[in-house]
Amino acid sequence: MSELEAQQRLKTYGPNELPTHAFSTTQVLLRQFKNPIFAILIAAAVVAGVFAEPKQTIIILSMIALSVVLGFYNEYKAEKIVENLRQNVSIKALVTRDGKASQVDSRLLVPGDLVTVYVGDIAPADMRIVKSKDLQTDEATFTGESFPVEKTSDMLELEQPTSQQLTNYLFMGTVVVHGSGQGVVVSTGKNTELGAISRSLVRPHPETEFQRGIKKYGTMLVTLTLALAISIFALNAIIGTNTLTDSLLFSLAVAVGLVPELMPAIVTVSLAQGARRMAKVKVIVKRLVSIEDFGNMNVFCTDKTGTLTEGKIILRDVYSLGGEKDQRVLTYSLLCNNAVFGENVVGNPMDVAIWDYAVKNEEQESSKPYMKVDEVPFDYQRRMMSVVVSKDSEYTLIAKGAPESVFAKCTHADVSGRIEPLSAVRKAVDDKFYKLSELGYRILAVASKGVSAKAAYSVEDENELTLLGFLIFTDPPKKDAHEAVTKLNEMGVTVKILTGDNELVAKTICDDLKIPVKRLLVGSDLNQMSWTEVKKVVEETTIFARITPEQKLDIIKALKENGHVVGFGGDGVNDAPALYEADVGISVDTAVDVAKEAADIVLLEKDLLVLADGINEGRKIFGNTIKYILMGTSSNFGNMFSAAAASVFLPFLPMLPMQILFMNLLYDISNMTLPTDNVDEELVKKPARWDIGFVRKYTLFFGPFSSLYDFLTYGIMLFIFGASIPAKAALFQTGWFVESFCTEVFVIFVIRTRRIPFWSSRPGKWLTLLTVSCVAFGTILPFTPLGGFLGFTALPPEYWALLLLMVATYLLLVDAGKVFFYKICKF
Amino acid sequence: MIDPELFLKWAVSISGGSVFLALVSIYLYSDAKPRRDKMGQMVRRVWSLPRDFIFVWILLGLLFFYIITVEVGSAPIFAAGNVIVETLLILYLLKNRTKTE
Repeated sequence: MSELEAQQRLKTYGPNELPTHAFSTTQVLLRQFKNPIFAILIAAAVVAGVFAEPKQTIIILSMIALSVVLGFYNEYKAEKIVENLRQNVSIKALVTRDGKASQVDSRLLVPGDLVTVYVGDIAPADMRIVKSKDLQTDEATFTGESFPVEKTSDMLELEQPTSQQLTNYLFMGTVVVHGSGQGVVVSTGKNTELGAISRSLVRPHPETEFQRGIKKYGTMLVTLTLALAISIFALNAIIGTNTLTDSLLFSLAVAVGLVPELMPAIVTVSLAQGARRMAKVKVIVKRLVSIEDFGNMNVFCTDKTGTLTEGKIILRDVYSLGGEKDQRVLTYSLLCNNAVFGENVVGNPMDVAIWDYAVKNEEQESSKPYMKVDEVPFDYQRRMMSVVVSKDSEYTLIAKGAPESVFAKCTHADVSGRIEPLSAVRKAVDDKFYKLSELGYRILAVASKGVSAKAAYSVEDENELTLLGFLIFTDPPKKDAHEAVTKLNEMGVTVKILTGDNELVAKTICDDLKIPVKRLLVGSDLNQMSWTEVKKVVEETTIFARITPEQKLDIIKALKENGHVVGFGGDGVNDAPALYEADVGISVDTAVDVAKEAADIVLLEKDLLVLADGINEGRKIFGNTIKYILMGTSSNFGNMFSAAAASVFLPFLPMLPMQILFMNLLYDISNMTLPTDNVDEELVKKPARWDIGFVRKYTLFFGPFSSLYDFLTYGIMLFIFGASIPAKAALFQTGWFVESFCTEVFVIFVIRTRRIPFWSSRPGKWLTLLTVSCVAFGTILPFTPLGGFLGFTALPPEYWALLLLMVATYLLLVDAGKVFFYKICKF
Repeated sequence: MIDPELFLKWAVSISGGSVFLALVSIYLYSDAKPRRDKMGQMVRRVWSLPRDFIFVWILLGLLFFYIITVEVGSAPIFAAGNVIVETLLILYLLKNRTKTE
């Protein structure tokens, strides 16, 4: 193809790039407003503005600003870190245009380009192979298969072949591990197989369990707030003594008081702080909202290759037919080897593994005395290669290859130095071979024979060989994988393995890692099942083998439908859709870009143990978020309910709208360090679930405690301090403000734990410091000019003594309520 | 001089709040049965009811005490009563603490 034509095609087909999610500042900002809570606040600010209440409007706007700025700052910072992690690596491709081969930026490739690939190259586009020489590719990222796949230019006569069957195709993103080849680009960018997967990921992420919970909670709150605000306004308007405008502004203030306006910011700050802590243990959180689900995940599905295994083929053992150690098998396999030495040893992974094994066992020198004379290269018909070496004027032909192929060329076997006819030992040899194969190992056989010197050797010389032994290869389990799986189980997380690899390999890995396998299922069995059956079997199956990316997706969907919070760990292209669908998609830094793009969390180290740290962190964040929600819905609700009741029977408003709003703002500030609070051990031991029913019952039970003490304060102010006439309204309002604020803020120390506060569960130092500071500020406020501005007045000295006793009794009573709620009612 | 009408409204409000809380407690207690069954615990016997609801008795006692002291309008009685209740609550909490606590 000519350069000119290529340029024109580039205009038609576009650059050879994959679609990705772009980071947008505006989107981060707009996300802060995507909450029903803001709708209430903005409506309240507008109404207050319309009724010329600038102080009220300013306080509401300050709340909105505080929440938005906090949320935006933290989320923006987190997004920026992730953005910086995305590396723009430019890949070059060797392209022939106008008859000349040159290196071209792979983004400029177009359909029709002729591309040449060598060992180590990443296929830059989807190509039809037109020429190949011993070409093998690593398609693990597509299929999960750890071993190389043979590729040729041969025509295929298949109807509707799957991508795995297309052996004359090179797929974008796969790596050439052996040989070389030339192909014509068929599709580029989003039209490639890889592009199709990427394209499916450029859609809104499915909602996480946490997001669904927050949404339900928001709806519950908005309904409650509207109902209460309308009731207060109606009651005040009908039987109250206040003007309509006062009633409206009061009901609005109560509505605002009910809303935990800082919740979005508290959640974002918690998540962002958690993300920063997780970054220290090399866990990068791409999507903040997934942290909570990360903590609450109770099923972790993982790909086998690269997560449970090293993702690298090693030579596990060298087996000689006699059973004893025979140096020749290893030495001969070092000689009959095509690995290339550079900075590292490169080439066919099995050849590289042989060298790694020899170096590790300091046996690489054993091949030195030999000199390579000739080679009969590997080809896919013979499925073996051979070399002729010489030592001390003796010539030896060494063959190495697929056992069935090598056996066919052997007539004898060397058993502990005794040369016996192969037929005599064939059964034992076959038994051994099948046993090793059943354990999921890849086997190569090694054979040899003495030959006479001649100018060249050929395939015809590969006969009458003597079988020496086997080379046993495996993708070994990771050292810490067993520990990590055990730890996850202890944390209440069930581990399931989803692999495209065969069931034997998967089972061996599980046995090696001592993972108990309840049931093993292969993809073809899964295809025969109805959706109801799939939902049933996913519960009891530990290993899913030979499964396609679509089936991975189905398994995750089924688990989600069964009510689990599902995490999925994978690093290949074939894992991307499942990574996207899972509540928490977990990938690793070395994963293909499309997998990292789809993941919520990226581990900088391929270490499952860091997962446990991340889960722990997620649970802490969830625990602190729930604390805020329980606080907001119980004490806030109680306070606003008593305010509403009092507004009906009092001859004045129990608190001015502006005072309610100010108290709310101060309360929100006191809660800002809640994300740094300590979380009790029992709360991080097991996955927690978002339970709106629990929140409702908690509110119903703990809300009235606050109301009771509000009513008590009314009684004290009205009948002990005589503040029952409109002239003493300020005294009443101040007394209630101080009591309400102190109880509302201090109760966090009781609510934050199921244990006895301070005695067996210590709050975080920053939470203690800020809470005490805010209470101190709230109590001295009536004596300050700001207090005067807000309509407060000085309180009599006896009040403070009574307040101290009331607050203490209230906190003890709430703690006694906890005994009833948690221990007797078993929540 | 206490306004009787206002006092009555107040007493009704605080009593209403306490009764509501007591009713919620009964609801939560009955709602807990499936969870107790799931945890393999025996159904609590009738005579354990008074003990299980100690917190409610304290609550109702407090309500009675608060209404009386507010009507009397005595800060010292209010303070003394609170101290007694706090002592009772502390004893209750200590008795109910778990091994880890």
